[in-house]
Amino acid sequence: MKYKDYYQILGVARGATEDEIKKAYRRLAHKYHPDVSKEPNAEERFKEIGEAYEVLKDKEKRAAYDRLGQHRPGEDFRPPPDWAEQFARGFGRGGFGAGAYTEEVDLSDLFGDLFGTARGAGRGAKFAMPGQDYEAVVQLPLEDAARGTEVSLDLNVPEYDAEGMPRRTPKTIKVRIPKGVTDGQKLRVPGKGGPGMNGGPPGALYLDIKLRPHPLFQPSGHDLYLEVPVTPTEAALGTAIEVPTLEGRVRLKIPAGARSGQKLRLAGKGLPTPDGAHGDLYAVVQVVTPSTLTPKERELYEQLGRLSTFNPREHFDRR
Amino acid sequence: MTPQELLLSEFTLVSVSDIAASSGLSPREIEELVELGVFEPRAHEAAHALFSARCIELARAARRLQLDFELPLAGVALALTYRERIRELEERLHRIECELPGRARGR
Repeated sequence: MKYKDYYQILGVARGATEDEIKKAYRRLAHKYHPDVSKEPNAEERFKEIGEAYEVLKDKEKRAAYDRLGQHRPGEDFRPPPDWAEQFARGFGRGGFGAGAYTEEVDLSDLFGDLFGTARGAGRGAKFAMPGQDYEAVVQLPLEDAARGTEVSLDLNVPEYDAEGMPRRTPKTIKVRIPKGVTDGQKLRVPGKGGPGMNGGPPGALYLDIKLRPHPLFQPSGHDLYLEVPVTPTEAALGTAIEVPTLEGRVRLKIPAGARSGQKLRLAGKGLPTPDGAHGDLYAVVQVVTPSTLTPKERELYEQLGRLSTFNPREHFDRR
Repeated sequence: MTPQELLLSEFTLVSVSDIAASSGLSPREIEELVELGVFEPRAHEAAHALFSARCIELARAARRLQLDFELPLAGVALALTYRERIRELEERLHRIECELPGRARGR
């Protein structure tokens, strides 16, 4: 079993008071809480902060943790022989053989088993309890989000082995993603969470859907944005061009006098919505000037400059 | 999508008992969050209020905030209101950024 230094995780001394532990937790929780934090790895950090606080805020759990001794974080260790019997709060079975504490056993699962979990109690409880909900992030290409797809998720989930030890087990879960999901949406999949206890239903899997960046399209809800570069001549005179959509190329009319930032709507060419409609695709015009000119082009631009009466700074003179 | 899977979107409606079972909040706590303006019923079916399925996501966040920060429900409601406001502003900002020409070249 791998050692986790809960004191180090919370940034407190081993002799810290309950108040110091609470303050340290609150400070870190504000920084890393996944509902508010933008820090990278916030969810992972918050999980270990919560796990450390769950143990250190409780006198009995803290005493049990301290009895494990001090090791280097990540170091493989074994609890003292009578450790589980001494601290089991009547929920967990205790009495695990020394050989049961293998590398796959997670310290947090062991504490959850010995002292009961946040949902009420451990396996010793006599009433039906729903299984644990699992949460996972799934990254999808935009095309898969538009069409719907099936994904295979490799999760490391807590389970009990034949000896009754909680341990992390790799599990592959297949989930069907409906068409038209958008970035940041959540999908609940009942029955794909942990098994229920004493006849309770299994938990659910909650998927956090993230769309991978697309080289052309930028999604915003069910609408898509596509930047369309045009030449100054095309912008001035207007033209018809072909632009890509998720369903293939379509003709787009660029009106004469188009300007950078102008939005041209292609109705119904966005992502499908759950009610059977579609979002729109917005072509955002960008007038691009050439960075190098041939001598002939330069000559013609110079000629245009001399002939043109267009003055985009006319309003400066009115002040 | 199998009938069991549920996209937590504005398009689907769920009951208070579904929100309670999915989040760990009690029906009374959900009622309080309705009174505090965090959840808004979208429809009624046989005198029971129905809410958008996104409320499940909000209720789960409420439960996490309640447990992780030992917050009273009024504090949870305030945090959720600000969280929703930030989400709406982020969506508006993202949409405005999408409309800016030149962003593709900057990627």
